Amino acid sequence: MKNNKILITINNLEDINKLKELGITKFAFPLKGFCVGIPNTFLVPEIPCDGYLYINRILDNDGVDKLRKILNNLPENIKGIIFDDLGILELIKDLKIEKILYLTHFNTNSKSVNIYLDFVDSVILSTDITKEEIENIISNTKKEITLFTFGYTGVMYSRRLLLDNYSKFYNIEKENPIVIDNSDHKFIVYENEFGTYFYHEKVFDGLELMRLDAKYYFVNSVFLNINQIIGVLNGNLDGIDSDKGFLYTETIYKLKGGTDD
Amino acid sequence: MTELLAPAGDLERLKIALLYGADAVYLGGRDYSLRANAKNFSIEELNEACTFAHSLGKRIYVTVNIVFHDKNLENLEEYLQKLKEIKVDAVIVSDIIGVKMAQEVGLDIILSTQASTLNYEAVNFWKNLGVKRIVLGREANREDIIRIKEETNVEIECFIHGAMCTSISGKCVLSNYCTNRDSNRGGCAQICRWVFTKDGSPDFTFMSKDLNMVDYLEEMIKIGVNSFKVEGRMRSIYYIATVIMCYRKMIDGIVNKSLPKEDREYYSKILDRVANRDTTPQFFHEFPGVNESYFSDRTEVSNQDFLGIVLDYDKENKYLILEQRNYFKIGDIVEFIGPNMDTLTYTISTIVNEDGEKIDVARHPKMIVKLPLDIELEKYAMMRIKVFDKKSVL
Repeated sequence: MKNNKILITINNLEDINKLKELGITKFAFPLKGFCVGIPNTFLVPEIPCDGYLYINRILDNDGVDKLRKILNNLPENIKGIIFDDLGILELIKDLKIEKILYLTHFNTNSKSVNIYLDFVDSVILSTDITKEEIENIISNTKKEITLFTFGYTGVMYSRRLLLDNYSKFYNIEKENPIVIDNSDHKFIVYENEFGTYFYHEKVFDGLELMRLDAKYYFVNSVFLNINQIIGVLNGNLDGIDSDKGFLYTETIYKLKGGTDD
Repeated sequence: MTELLAPAGDLERLKIALLYGADAVYLGGRDYSLRANAKNFSIEELNEACTFAHSLGKRIYVTVNIVFHDKNLENLEEYLQKLKEIKVDAVIVSDIIGVKMAQEVGLDIILSTQASTLNYEAVNFWKNLGVKRIVLGREANREDIIRIKEETNVEIECFIHGAMCTSISGKCVLSNYCTNRDSNRGGCAQICRWVFTKDGSPDFTFMSKDLNMVDYLEEMIKIGVNSFKVEGRMRSIYYIATVIMCYRKMIDGIVNKSLPKEDREYYSKILDRVANRDTTPQFFHEFPGVNESYFSDRTEVSNQDFLGIVLDYDKENKYLILEQRNYFKIGDIVEFIGPNMDTLTYTISTIVNEDGEKIDVARHPKMIVKLPLDIELEKYAMMRIKVFDKKSVL
């Protein structure tokens, strides 16, 4: 394992030392007020070591204004930022920190990635593409990209408070997160004030991607405990219901028998 | 000027949208469009669409808004070049490579709502890349839109009517996981309309009600929203005609300061009638709550109001030639709506079939009948059940 190239999100500050013992040095801290789908988030002053800010919200204007204030006063231990909203690019133009763009479901081709690499240091590729497509992008991009390597993958992000409304509609106690099910498909649903986030219930296992050249191997630790993560990084996936996502299953672009034939 | 922008899944819908009052139409080609289930347009049809729209002084926008994988890029440049040659007025894109290539070809660019743009700095990013207009995410509220207009001076397009995604557009791949169809490449299977179970609790559904901005149209015009977009490339011709005509009348009425409250209420009732789901203004005026989504089984109403479409007018014998779309009979009180006409109330006194025989009932789908009428109606006028009286809605 190339643990020194792992970039991992942090759930609990107590986990950091255990991760350091594994040789991991790159930590992403979900920023309080700027994340969805993540129960544990942190204020900048709470970040105890060198780290990256992790921001996965799509921001409104108010969010932009608030984030600008935070970014204007960053302490030296903040070494980088991982973000989704393209408005953030305008806020970090002059900041001398590492910039990593994670557009969740975009960045599925080498040309788009190359354009974004004019603005950032690296891009996290979508998990909606195959391993072959990933390899092709790696071969055709001008900077090293970052690979989503392990963890629950986001599959839907709603601005609505779906769990709150569900509990109100049925007048039942609100649970958060919940697991929902439709035949073969289960999803974890988590809500905060900024929206509702769905994760596929099977953990994405892309550990084999660590054999490919990349700047970082991104591990999303949300809803995983430290023992599970340590196990995974030691090659032990016992007790974790995982799959390979779309690494070997290409999604359908055009429907057969449709008018596109 | 406030643009009324209509959807069209094929040439017939396109013509109807433009004739019923749309200033512009957005549509998809056979490739690179997010509505793979719509019939969509071949290059020849796109050419015809442009010629038709431009002859009326109106515009055509072509969606090229999939999220590209490498192999989807192979013929994109040639495709965009063809769109330039046939003089489409802009392309709607979401992926940055689409922006770049369209720019290189010299096409005007509209950023799709799929790009999830909800703040002024994101708008500035795209503006600096040369994007002419941005379709904001449907989550943008009144204050968001005002601030974005103030801070960016970019053309803003907002949805005003039709179906909503539960997700922020571009942020959902539920279809990929449930059906293996790529929702960001036209394969959305509308998983947000499925019913999910949850252990020990009522079924979990999370489908949004539809959007309807009638109550806030005037405010949006004042804010300076440049284009009012209607959703629904796969909707029926009757739906498109009705929705576009209602919004056309309301926008013109607001701009000309001649939209009485009772007229707005009338159009609102017509729009409610043609909708197959409940509608609300969603995010514009307040944060959506329990009443803006469905959390239990819902009933989707199939509208049977559309009775026929006018094919021609026999001037000599003063007969209207009509293609039947739903059952009607002698004695029914109906209305005609159409391009360049006021709504006309009509009582069916005679129905003549293709053999020249008088019949009491038009019961067969797409049968051709003649109805006596002294007033000439244009092709594409439509006959519907008369439900509301404009003056009675007070």
